[in-house]
Amino acid sequence: MGVGKTTAIAAISEAPPISTDVANADTSVAKATTTVGLDFGQLTLDNGDRLRIYGTPGQSRFDFMWQILIRDALGLAILLDNSRPRPLDDMHTYLDGFADALKEMPCVIGVSRCDTHASPSLDDYAYALQARGLVLPIVAVDLRRRDDVISLVETLLVQIEAIDAGVSP
Amino acid sequence: MNISLALKLKAASEAQHILDEIAGVTAVVIATPDGFEIASASLRSFDPSRIAAMASSISAMGSVVSQEARLGRCKCITVGTDDGFALFSPVRNEEAELVVNVIANAGAVLAQAMYRTATCVKVLEAHKSGWLPPRIGE
Repeated sequence: MGVGKTTAIAAISEAPPISTDVANADTSVAKATTTVGLDFGQLTLDNGDRLRIYGTPGQSRFDFMWQILIRDALGLAILLDNSRPRPLDDMHTYLDGFADALKEMPCVIGVSRCDTHASPSLDDYAYALQARGLVLPIVAVDLRRRDDVISLVETLLVQIEAIDAGVSP
Repeated sequence: MNISLALKLKAASEAQHILDEIAGVTAVVIATPDGFEIASASLRSFDPSRIAAMASSISAMGSVVSQEARLGRCKCITVGTDDGFALFSPVRNEEAELVVNVIANAGAVLAQAMYRTATCVKVLEAHKSGWLPPRIGE
């Protein structure tokens, strides 16, 4: 929660993004609003294909939305905030929540606020993934920057194309 | 978002009244817009926190749909099922926004449940606590 999913979608969406943010009543997080339904944005790729991007609420109590939104998705980007108390635990929560989808679906991990919070390092994330038998791209991102978010999406698209071409990503 | 004890008590009272007055209603949950239960009443054991989270998502989706379709303010969302229905109604009290969620079995009359839920919404919107919890540090 608070990693910047809504901001990331707003950074790259061509049309005004659809957002379901409401007032945040969770006093443990210094945040005025939080997503409770979904975020939606759209991006046209160079080949003319249109990419639809959906953001989910981050809190585990909304995990039913994770299962709704992951249906028929081409790929998954898990965004983590390195300034949170236990970002590796956050990653495990999402890996558990999307475990079924991850058996076949391409996935990329984006880690924000690495500039102000160096630990855990990207290597730490890679080791944690390896311990679960997963090898996924891990990218440091500033989710306010369009170029960073586009780069994250491109990393995911490369994996999707590799799977479509029958090559292991 | 601070919600006064008075508003929580009023919400608890309304939830129990809906459960008692409308045949077929099995559970009532009143939650914050971001999915925290503040009051609930039910005929059976259930997890109100789960229902509260779903109520907030569905209510937010209803608001977006009504906004995109330029249909004005979302007042109620109904999910009809084989064995009953669920109603979700947003509340706009000046102190706090809330969502009322009513779950009913096939024995309930939809119009009756909608009318009673709308009354509950009006009561909660008109409620003035006249008291707010003190801020931390004051």
